[in-house]
Amino acid sequence: MNISSFKDTFKRMYRNSKYRIWLWVLGLPTMLITFFVYKGKKGKDGYAEIRNQVRREMEGTSLLSELTRTALEQIKRKNEYFQKSASERDMKKQAEQIAKKNFDWILEDKVKQIAQSKSIEEVTMASVYSSLISNGALLALSIITSFPMYIIMILFTNPISKYVVDRLVMMVFVLFGVTFLVFTILYISPMDPALNILGVTATPEQVERFNKMHGLDQPYLVQLFSKFQNLLTFNLGKSFQGNENIAVALANKFPITLQVTFWSMLVSLVIAIPSGIISAIKPYTSFDYIAMFIALLGLSIPNFWLGLMMILEFSIKNKWLPATFQVGNPVTLIMPAIVLGTGMSASVARMTRSSMMEVKNSDYILTARAKGLPERKVVLKHILGNAMIPIITTIGMQFGGMLGGSSVTEKVFNINGIGLYIVEKQFVPDIPAVLAGVIYVSFVVSIVNLIVDIMYAVIDPRIKSKMKNY
Amino acid sequence: MATKQMTKNEAAYIKKVNSKKLSGSFEFMTSRLGWQVSGVFALYLAVTAFMAESVSTAKLIIAAVFAVQFLLQFFITSKITKELIGPAGAISDGTRKLGFLLVPFILCGNFLLFIAGMMLVKKEKNIEYQLSVYSLLISLYIILISALNLFKPKQASTFVLGMALYGLYSIFNLVVIFAVGKYAMGKKPDKKFMPFAVICLLGLALGNVFSFLLGLIAIGKYRHKNDEISVEWIDVIRRLFKNYTAVIGMIVVIFLLSVSIGSNLTFDYRIATSNNFSQMLAQPSLAYPFGCDDYGRCVFTRIIFGARISLIIGVISTAVPIIVGGLLGALAGYYGGRTENIIMRILDVLSAVPSILLAIAIIAAFGASTITLIMALSVGGIPGYARTVRAQVLGLSNQEFVEAAKACGAKDGTIIFRHIIPNSLAPVIVRATMGIGSAVLSTSSLSYLGIGVEAHIPEWGNILKAGSTYLESNPYIAIFPGLAIIIIVLAFNFFGDGLRDALDPKLK
Repeated sequence: MNISSFKDTFKRMYRNSKYRIWLWVLGLPTMLITFFVYKGKKGKDGYAEIRNQVRREMEGTSLLSELTRTALEQIKRKNEYFQKSASERDMKKQAEQIAKKNFDWILEDKVKQIAQSKSIEEVTMASVYSSLISNGALLALSIITSFPMYIIMILFTNPISKYVVDRLVMMVFVLFGVTFLVFTILYISPMDPALNILGVTATPEQVERFNKMHGLDQPYLVQLFSKFQNLLTFNLGKSFQGNENIAVALANKFPITLQVTFWSMLVSLVIAIPSGIISAIKPYTSFDYIAMFIALLGLSIPNFWLGLMMILEFSIKNKWLPATFQVGNPVTLIMPAIVLGTGMSASVARMTRSSMMEVKNSDYILTARAKGLPERKVVLKHILGNAMIPIITTIGMQFGGMLGGSSVTEKVFNINGIGLYIVEKQFVPDIPAVLAGVIYVSFVVSIVNLIVDIMYAVIDPRIKSKMKNY
Repeated sequence: MATKQMTKNEAAYIKKVNSKKLSGSFEFMTSRLGWQVSGVFALYLAVTAFMAESVSTAKLIIAAVFAVQFLLQFFITSKITKELIGPAGAISDGTRKLGFLLVPFILCGNFLLFIAGMMLVKKEKNIEYQLSVYSLLISLYIILISALNLFKPKQASTFVLGMALYGLYSIFNLVVIFAVGKYAMGKKPDKKFMPFAVICLLGLALGNVFSFLLGLIAIGKYRHKNDEISVEWIDVIRRLFKNYTAVIGMIVVIFLLSVSIGSNLTFDYRIATSNNFSQMLAQPSLAYPFGCDDYGRCVFTRIIFGARISLIIGVISTAVPIIVGGLLGALAGYYGGRTENIIMRILDVLSAVPSILLAIAIIAAFGASTITLIMALSVGGIPGYARTVRAQVLGLSNQEFVEAAKACGAKDGTIIFRHIIPNSLAPVIVRATMGIGSAVLSTSSLSYLGIGVEAHIPEWGNILKAGSTYLESNPYIAIFPGLAIIIIVLAFNFFGDGLRDALDPKLK
């Protein structure tokens, strides 16, 4: 990490209005000093001198009146064409504005040209900053007083880490949005959790006490604000029913959901990728037709029905596998993994086929064949490699969705996962639990999406180079 | 060695040409699927009949009937293949006459053979002929399904009326098939065909969209002035009907639509909803084809009435997000800048929550009911449609015709609604078709969890939920509604795939 990369990053970040705000917020002391120095220097350097000189020269000519005249003429013609009538004064005013703008453009252009030929640079925040931190003492002071800014600048020198930071910031806003959305929906609900939990026979005092205990008697904005506060402090709160700590409850369910997700993912990939590849390489054959029909069937079968049928066949009729899931018993995982996996493999197989079919006829595949690469390498490296992005997107979406719990399958096999937890809590409705569950799931989905997007950059150099531009 | 290589290549080439010839013939495609499906079905029935503890004769008889169909169809298919590949390159009149043998098998419910037969008997087929055949098929199917009610001790009061209505309508459909052959085979239908076309339009009231399309196309062609230019929407329909899997998808969808209208007359809603404790958990029989559930309600009738609720929820909860999402997407794509930023950020929030979870949260707030369900499913669908439309609009708004409209001084609203939205519809329509299928899936999933449609309403997920309790003793209560869900979703997926191909501008 050397100083020149700081200078460069600062310049680029300052150019973008969004990152400019970040710089001001994270590095206020440095920015203030830089700003005052900049204010002091502005208008007194060589650049400003040239500008004044050129302006004087240009004002001496009849350029401005010429520009006004042509602008006026154009406006008149335009109004004539569209058969609009406007008063002479309005038109003149408009023309003067346009002329002034054009005049300034020409001025700036000229100034830039002259300055370049004399190799004089305009004083900007970036140039002031770079001249200031060339001084070692000032640099040290700046790093001490506004180290958050330097952390962000170090992250921003690498395109991928910059992308991650960008996305994480965005994710925080999305999570606030989700909190707002779900809380508002639950708040305007006509249901009364107090009555549902305490029973219909509860006295008004009991209801009041319950509402007071959970802060339900407070106005909407206060409640919403406390939810935001909880989000910032990673405090998911306590559930209405049983007063349990929701974070602990979710943390207990997470390993189960993760386990189920992992194995179903494995089943899905093992089925989907090979069949997708074969279908794409040998399209319109019997294998292709049958595989794609099965894939379409997989998309159309309700998960719970497939689960029930498997229980019927393998647990009730034949007694090969246990019907319900037990923690720590891998045999019980077979059926849920197959049910979820086949459902998922359908769309992955279809996506694999269609995106490989698209790539298959490209020129670079022809080149790869022409230079005599073995067919296996052409298919796996060149075709599949270039078709990977949509496939990864599909897999990532499915994976994120499944980590959020597949409530229906969980109910069929009685898996005590996240999905079932949220469904059970919504019957109450246990507002903090449902809210926390939904926020958790959207957090997981966002993180998985982020990982998928980073993987794009790893796979596809074109995307990586796109990330560098900002 | 060289000659051997030559002949090998030649053989491969001939094989390719032949398969192309065959797949270009609609007669061959319909026949082939006919024997394949009949054969698999016969085999399945025979195996299950022997696998059961006591060999059931009823199943064996049905298996035998299907085996006969399989053999007949297989024989005809091989004949068609021989003639198509042979020197004549066309199907002979003698073979075409064999098609009449296939048609009556509609009585066994085998619509594939019926279609194969009808396609075989007629040499020159246009889109009108196909539509009239499908329309007859739907009417006959409704009569067949309704006729199962004759085995019940009591029929609905409007049963006779309904049967008579559908009987008359089927006869009309048959007449239309002949009328099409006589008057509508040319480029332009004869004037005498117009009364038929108008009556065909009325078929929509019975849910028979095929008949409606037939009327629409005939009138559209008749009113079309220039013979040289083909009408674009008719071309799309023609391409769609060339794809046999898409046709099957449409037949199923339209059949379900017709059934959900026709069942009001020929089925008794009370059998589906009121308790009958003398028939509690009755096994399948002729009177109750799919048995009875724990309240003694006929599962078959419940499934028939379930089609209605599934279609209604599917269509509305797809239409609402199309309108809302499409509008948001169009605005974002057209205006860009800050408008786009705000809209897309809101949609980001919506799409961060998986749609089924969002639905659960909304249902948690407003209680489980059909209206809430529709609302919940709709909200989850908005971001997807908005993104699709936005991507389309972004591509379109730089095109010349939009620029031309702007230069002519058209207002933003006019440009969006007249120029951009109609041109960006194709992918939305395809998405929507598949969207209805997945909405049906979500509905039944939520009903299964007990937070979808109210439990007393006959909905497929509800029936399944009831059935899952009796999985051990009465598995059929859970099996049949599941099959119904699979069939409807599969049909929509087939239809959507076909539509995507038909609307693909590259194939025009």
